[in-house]
Amino acid sequence: MDGSPTRSPQELAVLREHLASVQAGRGVRVEICSTGCRAMGAQTLSKEFSEKLTTAGLDGEVEVVETGCHGQCARAPLVRIEPHDFLYGQMEPGDIDDVIETTLRKGLPVDRLCEARDGKAIPIIGDIPFYKAQTREIFRDCGRVDPRRIEDAIVRGTYEAAAEALTAMTPEQVIDEVTGSGLRGRGGAGFSAGVKWGLCRQAPGNEKYVICNADEGDPGAFMDRALLEGVPHQVLEGMIIAAYAIGASQGFVYVRAEYPIAVEHITLAIEQARGYRLLGTDVLGSGFDFDIEVRMGAGAFVCGEETALIASLEGRRGMPRPRPPFPARSGYLGKPTTINNVETLATVPSVVLRGKEWFSAIGTEGSKGTKAFALAGKVKNTGLVEVPMGATVREIVFDVGGGIPRGRHFKAAQMGGPSGGCVPARYLDLPIDYDSVKEAGAIMGSGGLVVMDDSNCMVEIARFFTEFVMDESCGKCAPCRIGTRHMFDILTRITEGEGELEDIDRLEKLGKSVKEGSLCGLGQTAANPVLSTLRHFRDEYVAHIVERRCAANSCKKMVGTSCVAACPAHVNVPEYLSLIKEGRPAEALETIRRRNPFPSVCGRACDHPCETFCRRADLDEAVAIRNLKRFASDQVQEVGTPPVWQGPREGRIAVIGAGPSGLTAAYFLALMGREVTVLEKEETIGGALITGIPAFRLPRDVLARDVEYIRRAGVTIETGRNVDSIQELLDAGFDSVFVAIGAQESAELEVPGEDLDGVEDTLAFLRRANSGTLTEVEGSVVVVGGGNAAIDAARTAQRLGAGSVTVLYRRSREEMPALDEEVEGAMVEGVQMRFLSAPVAIEGNGRVGRVRCVRMELGDADEKGRRRPIPIPDSESLIDADHVIVAIGQQPNLGLADGYGGLEVDGRLFRADPVTQRAGESPVFVGGDVVTGPSTIIQAIGAGQRAAVAIDLFLGGEGQLPPERVLADPVIPDGSVMEITRQPLPLLSPEQLTGAFEEIVKGYSSSTASLEARRCLRCDLE
Amino acid sequence: MQMELVSLVTLTIDDRVITAREGMTILEAANEAGVRIPHLCSDPRLAPTGACRLCVVEIEGERGLQTSCTRQVSPGMIVYANNENTHASRTATLEMLLSEHRVACTTCDMDGGCLLQDYAYEYQASETSLPNIALPCDLTNYSSGSEAIAYDPSKCVRCQLCVRFCEEIQMAEALTLRGRSGYVEVTTGFDVELNESTCEICGGCVNICPTGALYDRGAMGLGRPNDLEKIRTTCAYCGVGCQIDLNVNRRLNRVVRVTSEPGCVPNDGNLCVKGKYAFDFIHSPERLTKPLIRENGALREASWEEAIQTAANGLVAARDKYGPEGIAFLSSARCTNEENYLMQKMARMAGKTNNVDQCATTCHAPTVAGLASAFGSGAMTNSISEIKNVQTMFLIGANPTEAHPVVGLEMKKALRIGARLIVCDPRETWMASRADIHIKHKPGTDNSLINAMMSHIIAKGLYDEAFVEARGENFEDFKANIADWSVEQAAETCSVDADLIRRAAEMYAAGSPSAIFYTLGITEHTCGTENVQNLANLAMLCGQIGKESSGVNPIRGQNNVQGACDMGAMAFALPGYQKVVDPAVREKFEGLWGGPLPVNKGGTVTDFVEKAGEGVLKAFYCVGEDPVRSEPNSTRVIANLEKVDFIVCQDIFMSETAKLADVILPAACFAEKDGTFVNTERRVQRVRKAVEPPGEARADWQIMCDISTAMGYPMSYEHPSMIWDETAAAAPMLAGISYERIEEQGLQWPCPTADHPGTPFLHKEVFTRGKGLFHEIDFRPPAEEPDEEYPMILSTGRTLYNYNVGNMTRKTVAVEQKQPENFVEIHEEDAVRLGILDGDKVRVATRRGEVTACAHVAGKVRPGALWMPFHYGESSTNLLTNDAFDNITRTAEYKVCAARIERL
Repeated sequence: MDGSPTRSPQELAVLREHLASVQAGRGVRVEICSTGCRAMGAQTLSKEFSEKLTTAGLDGEVEVVETGCHGQCARAPLVRIEPHDFLYGQMEPGDIDDVIETTLRKGLPVDRLCEARDGKAIPIIGDIPFYKAQTREIFRDCGRVDPRRIEDAIVRGTYEAAAEALTAMTPEQVIDEVTGSGLRGRGGAGFSAGVKWGLCRQAPGNEKYVICNADEGDPGAFMDRALLEGVPHQVLEGMIIAAYAIGASQGFVYVRAEYPIAVEHITLAIEQARGYRLLGTDVLGSGFDFDIEVRMGAGAFVCGEETALIASLEGRRGMPRPRPPFPARSGYLGKPTTINNVETLATVPSVVLRGKEWFSAIGTEGSKGTKAFALAGKVKNTGLVEVPMGATVREIVFDVGGGIPRGRHFKAAQMGGPSGGCVPARYLDLPIDYDSVKEAGAIMGSGGLVVMDDSNCMVEIARFFTEFVMDESCGKCAPCRIGTRHMFDILTRITEGEGELEDIDRLEKLGKSVKEGSLCGLGQTAANPVLSTLRHFRDEYVAHIVERRCAANSCKKMVGTSCVAACPAHVNVPEYLSLIKEGRPAEALETIRRRNPFPSVCGRACDHPCETFCRRADLDEAVAIRNLKRFASDQVQEVGTPPVWQGPREGRIAVIGAGPSGLTAAYFLALMGREVTVLEKEETIGGALITGIPAFRLPRDVLARDVEYIRRAGVTIETGRNVDSIQELLDAGFDSVFVAIGAQESAELEVPGEDLDGVEDTLAFLRRANSGTLTEVEGSVVVVGGGNAAIDAARTAQRLGAGSVTVLYRRSREEMPALDEEVEGAMVEGVQMRFLSAPVAIEGNGRVGRVRCVRMELGDADEKGRRRPIPIPDSESLIDADHVIVAIGQQPNLGLADGYGGLEVDGRLFRADPVTQRAGESPVFVGGDVVTGPSTIIQAIGAGQRAAVAIDLFLGGEGQLPPERVLADPVIPDGSVMEITRQPLPLLSPEQLTGAFEEIVKGYSSSTASLEARRCLRCDLE
Repeated sequence: MQMELVSLVTLTIDDRVITAREGMTILEAANEAGVRIPHLCSDPRLAPTGACRLCVVEIEGERGLQTSCTRQVSPGMIVYANNENTHASRTATLEMLLSEHRVACTTCDMDGGCLLQDYAYEYQASETSLPNIALPCDLTNYSSGSEAIAYDPSKCVRCQLCVRFCEEIQMAEALTLRGRSGYVEVTTGFDVELNESTCEICGGCVNICPTGALYDRGAMGLGRPNDLEKIRTTCAYCGVGCQIDLNVNRRLNRVVRVTSEPGCVPNDGNLCVKGKYAFDFIHSPERLTKPLIRENGALREASWEEAIQTAANGLVAARDKYGPEGIAFLSSARCTNEENYLMQKMARMAGKTNNVDQCATTCHAPTVAGLASAFGSGAMTNSISEIKNVQTMFLIGANPTEAHPVVGLEMKKALRIGARLIVCDPRETWMASRADIHIKHKPGTDNSLINAMMSHIIAKGLYDEAFVEARGENFEDFKANIADWSVEQAAETCSVDADLIRRAAEMYAAGSPSAIFYTLGITEHTCGTENVQNLANLAMLCGQIGKESSGVNPIRGQNNVQGACDMGAMAFALPGYQKVVDPAVREKFEGLWGGPLPVNKGGTVTDFVEKAGEGVLKAFYCVGEDPVRSEPNSTRVIANLEKVDFIVCQDIFMSETAKLADVILPAACFAEKDGTFVNTERRVQRVRKAVEPPGEARADWQIMCDISTAMGYPMSYEHPSMIWDETAAAAPMLAGISYERIEEQGLQWPCPTADHPGTPFLHKEVFTRGKGLFHEIDFRPPAEEPDEEYPMILSTGRTLYNYNVGNMTRKTVAVEQKQPENFVEIHEEDAVRLGILDGDKVRVATRRGEVTACAHVAGKVRPGALWMPFHYGESSTNLLTNDAFDNITRTAEYKVCAARIERL
């Protein structure tokens, strides 16, 4: 029965039943993806698996099947075991014995090959979050059938829809069904498939063609490839139905030659289908003749455009022509032709078989059914996913994709390939369909979805895609050919730091001309990457041009080394890491201090953007730069001597505020030969370093050492000096003033009961605790907020003996701004976290008694992509509280602006030049939190450093920071350093943690530090 | 023109209500209505492509801008061709184009004639608004080695007009594009040198280029469009009669380049290599510039007075001593109608003889005789413009893509829109290789083939009984003669598959309209006239004549061979084919010309050579012909002419015949005089003077007047138009044609009255002779058949690049580059057998002589056959050809002789 022609639907059904009974006899199937996973050794795996099964005597019961793509490509090679439905990832030949023994013999999962969540293995495919969040309809059989055996496809129901269409439906009925289903073309433009078929059917002429467009060229998109490789018969079936509907007797699969497996599988599938009379004359006895030919494209992107594809198919150069006439009327050889994308055709059989109602029940109003996306880029689970139309970007990226790895943040998703656009974080909760995506400035395209995080420069992304379309422009029409070139040149200039502000206008103008003037879809969308990034990330363009700064630290010509660029103080990280590696910590420390006078502080409390942008992080984990910095500062116990200015000091500068920003500015100005006086309101020196960070995180002697070093540079610090008037300082003979007063005022909750006793803001609380005025806390404490200050307050309260400490945070753990390690530490110490909770009132009788909370849920993304918390009605509850600490943010005191016209206020901040930080034309400079809002220590240090340079220049100096020196051996490490994993810090036990106010984190040992330092790839030397 | 029912469409363009024909594009409609829309990539001859994006317009109710060159008009459409949006888009596109363009107008040959420059000015698009990214201009490319064409990618706007022209019109498929993005460049397939590619050097790419990217290499630096004056005239090569513009730099008195404009009749701006590039001869230093007289065996320069007197004296002496058979006048199909008219008038009135002929004898005399006997008029029945609508083209003994390239283009056009094609030719010509049916029959077996076809058509009842009945004569006898003609037997004679003959017969009979095209493959046989009569039989049998796009079409080989015949430069006819023997005619002309007409029968050029050999012909006046080279068996021609006492040659170059002359008179070439030519479709067209002749050279008509006067029959005209008027008055079929009427576009005779529109196709309701006469034709084998000593059949013919004896074309560097030496085509089977490799030097010998040539080994000819061109003086093919003649017209059998070939 196998291999004999099926002359009617009945014969096909009989065959299917026969095949099913044969397959049922086998029992277990080992389905190894041998298409996409081939590059990861899948074929060796399947070969060895078969051999070992024979050795184990199981070859009669277990069948090894080489299948198409399972989807979760990040875990390649993937193996699915049926009937258990186990999915194993990254399986190696060495694992086979274990799988045979454990799974095949005992029916149990091999945990270490399974996806794990919170340390727990998830063996069953349906339970894996990646699959759970999907609706796999089109890819239902992909990964489950052997694409090289038509029988495998038939047994799972392929060709049933074709049989139905050809023998039980008229072509018009088929068209009605497809039209009614709302199926839109999956190739990009989203034109109704049924309407297209109808137009082709109505077009005059007897000779018609159906073409399967498999010229999938978008970088990152591979769903069409996966379908052709994995379920070629499903595609053929779609073509048969399409051909029947329009009245074609010849079809073509136009597939790019770069898809050899797809070519092989579809070619084989056609031969096999002919053998069963599913192609050829009198298909299934219906009287309908149809055959298919495979034609290979030579890899021109433009040949995915239908008129160019037709030209190529006709043997001419693949160049598009204007429409109308549309191919439906005049296509291949001038005859009516329907061109559908692979995915569209692969969708058709389900539509016909299960009906338009089934299909149109899925999706959104304007976009029906499911859609496949090729998920790539900065996301944990790269691979092929299928979701209903209307799924949000967040669902795809976070629920299916598992989110952004390495602690970075989602920045944008490039949708629709090079013709598409970047959808920024604020559209994370946008339901994706053809129309909504367009409104967000992108296109659905074929469904490529490339995730970008904060290490992706959007100008560079625009440049990358513009280069792609420029190179792929067929050159026929001027706007596309020339316009893309000019856009590319301008983008290159900007990413190299040579841009000018007019370039943005030029890009917009060129983009418009290219969009409006180009002949085909390629050109008309070629400007999308530029226009969409300009729309959503204009500030990045401006930063490149005005500040010569790449926020993602990726534009090589501009930023040099990414960790150095990412550090606001631009400390030469690779150099000092090498010095540590070489056992020269003192020189390492000295290298750090050339840019940052707070190595001891930053070695502990820095939020280390350098690590976020460390290129090693793209391979495994970032180098532990902060820990190594601390190691260097711990190693050198003497304060040391800075390179003190030897000449007479000229120019008097007053620095208001002895926080990190002010002291840094003072330090560098002193080194430049200026006379600097720091005026500090408090009696202690360090500003927010003291008031905001508890001693168990930043021991005071450590801070004192950095401050002393700054003094030694020649800085005068006067404490207890409150400045009310800038003018007075200027009158007193200061040539310039640097305002670095920080953000010292807490924001208010603005709920009833905030004025009750026992309610205080976090700064006040920490100040009391840090200064020793508060030594004990009794009862229960509720901390409101989710930042580092909130966690510090909670941990301090815990240490001061509070009965219970509860942190209320209105969003979820994922959104919490506090450092992960701090949150974890707090939880270990017993601090309770109540996420998605917000106070609506503080109640009590004169004194706090309870906090009335409401439960929150997360709504749509805000501007930065964080989901907005929304109160859930009727969800209030009460928490007992003896103390409430409000830690929801700080803001600066802007009083200094009064009485001095040179200083302008912009909202809650001072206004200053973004580069020089100068306030207008005045001799006053402003830096740190007072202009940026509450920010990080290293930002403040960077601001101080920049202020020093700017002030020195303002005073006629050269603004020279201490020169960089190359002390370490500039050697690019060999591959062996890849073997070293990130070295953890010695952990303290929970008992030790909850202890007192000693420092809770210990530093590296010398050997560990040297090992960790070796992990640096020295990408600065490339 | 057949009137087609065309629907009209009313639309609005820029607030003007316009009526256009359905199917027109917006651009065409706008152009017709005078609304200006810029465009760089559109040409009326080509399918629109929408590449340049300049012709964008806004259409009400549609998003964005649309290219007007690709959008067809529709009723009620409201189009904004020139508003703010289109202006902005065009300016942006132009500025992009300029940024990609090496804006070097100062040194550009097209400065002032460049569309990009024009539009940039019109739209005030700046070349500096974007940085310049032009490709480097000094890189070698496909054209670097070409003598004809130069390509500069840094000036190219990538409109693809050149590539499309090459592909769609010329169908040479030499040009293509390479690269993507900004690196798109025009090139040849696999980047071979242009002159090694399939390029036919038609120059269409150069003419169509909107900028200076493609230019004629020979014209570079010789003048920008503003320095050049365009003189419209008629091409002096084949009989198609292309209208060309000689671009003259007045300062240099020099024709710098040749161009043509779309829309002109009959060539629609298309040219071939000869019309486009083979004009170097005009300014050749080898031109004759002074009269020469032979004295003591050597030639010396002489004054015009002396030369004229000497020539006249010699001619008069022979006339007076030997009578009308002692003197002969050979006129020229290369000369104007006016000159041919004067020549025959001089022969008859001053020479007192009917011994006047021209080279029609060498080529199409069997056509004139054969078609005249069948239909009553010996000319092409249809017009060139009708070819594109022929449904079944039947080509026999014709190679239009080489011999009549622009007619070839019309046939290609027909093929593109689906015409069927039957080619009967012993060679695999371009047309043969694309034919539905190619009958590659043995040379000289045409009548066997045609009879077999007709026999099959009759047997199958496929003939047009009604037509035969109503318009035929002698059909029954003809039918009886053909009745037992066996297709199988013919297949054997022709050495082809019988089935092919049947299929061809059926296809021809079924096509409507079908048309026959033939040239010298039919006429240059000892049975040439019979061949022609038999084709007339075939057409009449199937009723495929007397209709638009349907008839029997000999394509004339020389620019004015039709005119030379029309003018009566033939022994038996006076102007307008009025028979010399007709007393009424004689009376009329004697009245017109003021004297008695000669009564001798007169002969043809082949007769002249014979008579010279016999010692009968004593004086010979030869204008613009070179019988030594063009007649068969040259050795014998020379021997015979050496016996003539007195020869006068009038030419532009020192020909082989002139070397035997006693007086040599330097003549002006076609670019140096006024007059008219008649092309193959009977169209009388103007020839205009563009430059001054070199040295003392004078127009032929002036020289003829002087000689005639000196011979005692005074002739004097101020301008050729006066001669034409005299001709028109004498020949009723030309009576309605005047210089005034053909100033813009030529007229096709018959044109009897001043308000007659001319006649596009002949024999509409009635044949010229009344009924069409069926001839009973039998197959006669050629005069010389292969034998052991000379086992091969040699045919001769014309190539695309050269023309006749090569005097004019071979002065052209581009031609010499492409086809520098004589060659012989041999089938690979024979080549293998004889140990001949492609490119070998070989000796070809016949009973009459031998030449050396280069072997071209391919499957183009049949096994056992050889084929050679006759353009090379240094290797003169006519040393080989057989001086056997058509029994009626004395046309030689150039197409068949027995030959031997061996490797040198």
